[in-house]
Order: sequence, then structure tokens, then C-alpha cells
Amino acid sequence: MAGIITGIHFYNLRSKNLLKEKPDFTITAEELQKEFESDENASTIKFVNKIVEVTGVISSIDKGEKGALNVALKTESSLSSVICTFPGNTVTSGLMAGQTVTLRGECSGFLMDVLLNNCVLISK
Amino acid sequence: MKRLFFILIITGFFIQASGQKYITKNGYIGFFSHTPVEDIKADNNQVASVLDISTGEIVFQVLIKSFRFEKALMEEHFNENYMESEKYPRATFTGKITNLSAVRFSSAGVYEVEVEGDLTIHGATKKVKAKGTIEVAKETIAASSKFSIDPEDYNINIPNVVRNKIAKTIEITVNMKYSTSGNQ
Repeated sequence: MAGIITGIHFYNLRSKNLLKEKPDFTITAEELQKEFESDENASTIKFVNKIVEVTGVISSIDKGEKGALNVALKTESSLSSVICTFPGNTVTSGLMAGQTVTLRGECSGFLMDVLLNNCVLISK
Repeated sequence: MKRLFFILIITGFFIQASGQKYITKNGYIGFFSHTPVEDIKADNNQVASVLDISTGEIVFQVLIKSFRFEKALMEEHFNENYMESEKYPRATFTGKITNLSAVRFSSAGVYEVEVEGDLTIHGATKKVKAKGTIEVAKETIAASSKFSIDPEDYNINIPNVVRNKIAKTIEITVNMKYSTSGNQ
């Protein structure tokens, strides 16, 4: 019985709150993007599914669906950035382009940009 | 290799700077599975897409790991058991608006379109056809579509124990907001 309850509990567990988790890596947006750009396979093994705390300058902020917010951080490349998606229920007010921020997210990998999900704001 | 191709398309835009290619890196694709036992939905707000308004060519790329579920365990099963996202990290669609002449990109409005192309998920490629709308505004173009796919067509194996929780047909929702700079 206890097993079933535990099972149900884990099944219903929502994605973790990263404010309560320790980051696996602390890195600048520039360094993170550069690592993926130079060796995507090695960086995928290193960073994907890990909690990454990243510091950088906001290049743009775009609204997603259901209140989600995409914050892009500048890198040396004009085509590729670090895109950090905040879920709909997070407080992200007061963020603007040009601001230096530190945020924490789970790394999903590299598309054209390094993608972080489930992000929380650490400092601005 | 596919990413390189994609970057070439994007780079092509910057070289041409002709305003014919519209891009976004903040597009949305979601999916919904309904069964009497359970409803499952997931959202991905990190879709990269390019729309060439001169040819009607349209490309979408997503990371499977960027789909977010309400429940952490669902997300884990989706990535590890069904989509095998370590082996197949991306899904792509490369296609064309087949009735391009119906859209007046110079004139604000909402246009009905049909899109046809190749959808690659879980390493399997299938032809898909979908209806959608293109909304032309001053500096942006919005595109949206709803269509359905069967996981079985993409060799996605769903074990019998959870068969009744996952629909045979999954509804896909696509919402893009393009601009020439990639930002909304």
C-alpha cells in the first residue's frame, strides 16, 4: 500500500523547482555557447539534463504560449545565443534587453542556440 | 548535418537581406493525447523555423528534450522510453505551402493555406499534409496549424501496460510568429 502511495506521489510529481536545486555547472552564456559550437557531442553529454547556472546580457525577450517567456542571452556569435525559457507561472517582471542576469535552467541541448528550460531567475 | 543545412538557410537570409525569409527561434509546438484514462499534453516554446515567402518553403526544427510536461515522470518516459531522445534528439519538418498564390504577403490579413512535406520524428520520415492559417501583419507573419499524427507511423513503441493512457492519434498544435530579425 505504501508502495502504491509512493508510486502515485512520484507519478504526480511536477518538474522540480530549480530555486531549490544546486547547479551542476556555473558558466557564462558566451562560454556555454562556445562549448556547444566547438564540440556539440561532447557538450551534449556534459550539459544535457544538467542544471546550468548561466550569466549573460539579455539580447531579446519573447513571449511564448501559456505565459512562457524566452530570454535570449548574448554570445560572441550573431546567429546563436543561449535561449532560456521560463515556464508560465514564474515571476519574470522587470527583465529587459541589455540587462545582465544570472539564471538557472535545465539544459535541453543545442538547436541553433543552446536551449535551457524550466528556468528561474537567480539575480539581476 | 541537418543543423548545418538549417544554419545555411538562416545565413542565406543575412547575406541576401532581401526580406524574403522570415524566421523565429521562439515558436510553439504542443501536443495533446486524449484517452478516457488520461489526458497528456506537452509544450515546446523553443521551436526554430524559417518561412520563405517567395517560394513558400517552410522548415521547422525542435529538440525533443524541449517538450515540457506537467508531470516530471511523463517527461522522463517520453524522452527515455518512447522518443529515445538521446538517440534522436531532434524532430524536423521540411515542406512547402502548396497554395502560395492564395497568400498576399503585401497585404495584412488572414489566409488559409495548405502545407505538405516531410516530417521526421524518432528517425522515421513520413509525408504529411496539414491545413493552417497565415496571418500577415505589418512587420510580422504568424502561422498556425493543427493536425494529427499516429506515433505508430514513426516506429514509436508504446508498451501494452500504458496503451490505454496514450492515444493512437496525437493532436499537434503549431503557432509561429515570424519576423525578418527572428525576434518578435
